[in-house]
Amino acid sequence: MVDVYYFTEMPYAAFDETEAERYPSMRLTFPNTYFDASTAHGLFRDYFDQYQWAEEVGFDGLMINEHHNTPSCMDVAVNLSAAVLGRVTKRAKILLLGNMLPTTDNPVRLAEEVAMADVISGGRIIAGVVRGIGVETWANNNIPNHNRERFEECHDLMMATWTRPGPFRWEGTHYHFRVINPWVLPVQKPHPPIWVPGTGSPETIEWAARLGYTYAAFLVPMDATVRLYDAYREHAVNNGYEATSDNFAYMVCCVCADTDEEAQEIGKHYMWRMGHPLRGPAEYWAPPGYLGRRRPVRPHSGGAPSAGRKPLHMLSYEELQEAYHLVVGSPQTVLEKLSHMRERLGFGSLLLEAQAGAMPHKETMRSLELLGRDVIPELKKG
Amino acid sequence: MASNWQEETIRVAGLDTQVFSGGQGDPLLVLHGAGGNPGWMPYCEKLAARFRVIAPSHPGFGASDRPDWMERVHDLAYFYRWFMEEQGLGPLPVVGFSMGGWLAAEMAAMCPASISRMVLVGAAGMKPHDTEITDIFLLTTEEMNALRFYDTKQVPDYEALFGLEPTDEARQTASWDREMAALLTWKPYMYNPKMPHLMAQVQLPTLIVWGKQDAIVPMECGELYQQAIPGAALTLIDHCGHSPQLEKPDAFLAAVLPFLTAS
Repeated sequence: MVDVYYFTEMPYAAFDETEAERYPSMRLTFPNTYFDASTAHGLFRDYFDQYQWAEEVGFDGLMINEHHNTPSCMDVAVNLSAAVLGRVTKRAKILLLGNMLPTTDNPVRLAEEVAMADVISGGRIIAGVVRGIGVETWANNNIPNHNRERFEECHDLMMATWTRPGPFRWEGTHYHFRVINPWVLPVQKPHPPIWVPGTGSPETIEWAARLGYTYAAFLVPMDATVRLYDAYREHAVNNGYEATSDNFAYMVCCVCADTDEEAQEIGKHYMWRMGHPLRGPAEYWAPPGYLGRRRPVRPHSGGAPSAGRKPLHMLSYEELQEAYHLVVGSPQTVLEKLSHMRERLGFGSLLLEAQAGAMPHKETMRSLELLGRDVIPELKKG
Repeated sequence: MASNWQEETIRVAGLDTQVFSGGQGDPLLVLHGAGGNPGWMPYCEKLAARFRVIAPSHPGFGASDRPDWMERVHDLAYFYRWFMEEQGLGPLPVVGFSMGGWLAAEMAAMCPASISRMVLVGAAGMKPHDTEITDIFLLTTEEMNALRFYDTKQVPDYEALFGLEPTDEARQTASWDREMAALLTWKPYMYNPKMPHLMAQVQLPTLIVWGKQDAIVPMECGELYQQAIPGAALTLIDHCGHSPQLEKPDAFLAAVLPFLTAS
């Protein structure tokens, strides 16, 4: 069985994207004077309608993420959108991928918020955790060199908050609390499942495998994903267990239409999210010390880190499809491609970024319907 | 340029510490800025005609050890207190450039008995009210070099100092220096909120030197240091950016040498 999730970054693409060329990047310092709240209100309504519809037409889960200072993602707090989804949906898993641990100043509050969302949703939260890209370190003004250690300590404190009977005290390196005793605790015991996304960092693979957390490869080429999953399996064995398909998830962009021709037209909206939002100076993506303590220097491509691969923002529409980062087509075409990926990789969950840029609401809803009614049931049979 | 200077590694407070030194006379401590220790520069040579110039690389910079616990400029001030005690150096004059000026100010508050007089040059550490300290970590090296000087054409030996393609080793050191500088100065960015109160108790003869067109640490910070430190003098150098010692070396030395040699 494979579980399929719907995901949109809730982008705000209602402005001339060439404006971004006047600035170092569309992230971090791109002026927020381009933002219009009434436009955003309509977009949020559409996005939440899409999530509800995705559940109705057959998706197993709804994935949300979080970024700051960027039109590419209006979700600035996964726990807020999780609470909304927890109330307006009935059945689907709600995958937070995730809370940015290193930028969190109050892990106890974070644990409380996730617990509240888990209670509201009746135990449907998957509590993914992320380090946050370098831009988030800027936006939240955290010391970049503390990223990894705050990630780990925030995680440990969040887990303790959920699982250790209160009241108790925490005197850590980055976090200090006298009386931890939150009233609201998660429905799921001992705690909601934890997932972690990655694009290739060996530390993340090792950490996820050590703790048995599901590893979600984000827009990673298939051959590289095979190697990442293998590395995870090896670490799992070293930690005394055997990884199953439940330990692996895979995220790609995907849109479906009644015909291939129609889908190819709609799919071009993905070029917005593959373009300016992924460009920017090295200083934005990797503030000093963010990559770790005294890392060897290496040349930078001038864009989102790509683990030695050709950066996504340098790939053409055709190349993105050839690399299976972007799956576009009729239900038949999409089913063939997703089945191929599933056979090759053996993941237990497939995360479909099925809306991007200014992709219209109507086409997105039709795409979700085709995916939910024609593709997902067949994919599950395979 | 080279004459009688040396580079050596000495052990201070259990840490290997890289030190450039040269010249004859009374010791003079020179503290580098956030960009790292540039080594034996022309202004060191000029100062060495009158002093034994001692220019260490701070912990975490250059070839000096980086202990895990040092994360604030304040922590570096402890280190230099131990440096002076172990080397039998105090009291001696201290010249601090940029973040090194911030460090000198912290030392003046922490261990005034080790210091005879103090020169702050384009010093960080003081929160400006009406202006902002430029966020150097958002800038590329090229943008930083462009902002650092009022006019690179008036920097003697600019090509020799900045025009060469850096070696891999130099790039590595620059990257690690930047990481350490970010750790020390990230939040609040480039100042100690307590600085005005600390400076109010300083009784050392103090000279503040600033490039009038400093585009990194604004001149307002120099004025605030002068207002805070009793009896401090402020020398402004016109048509000059953040590094007077490189951009206007003659004017810099004309201000600093009489102050340092006054009895």
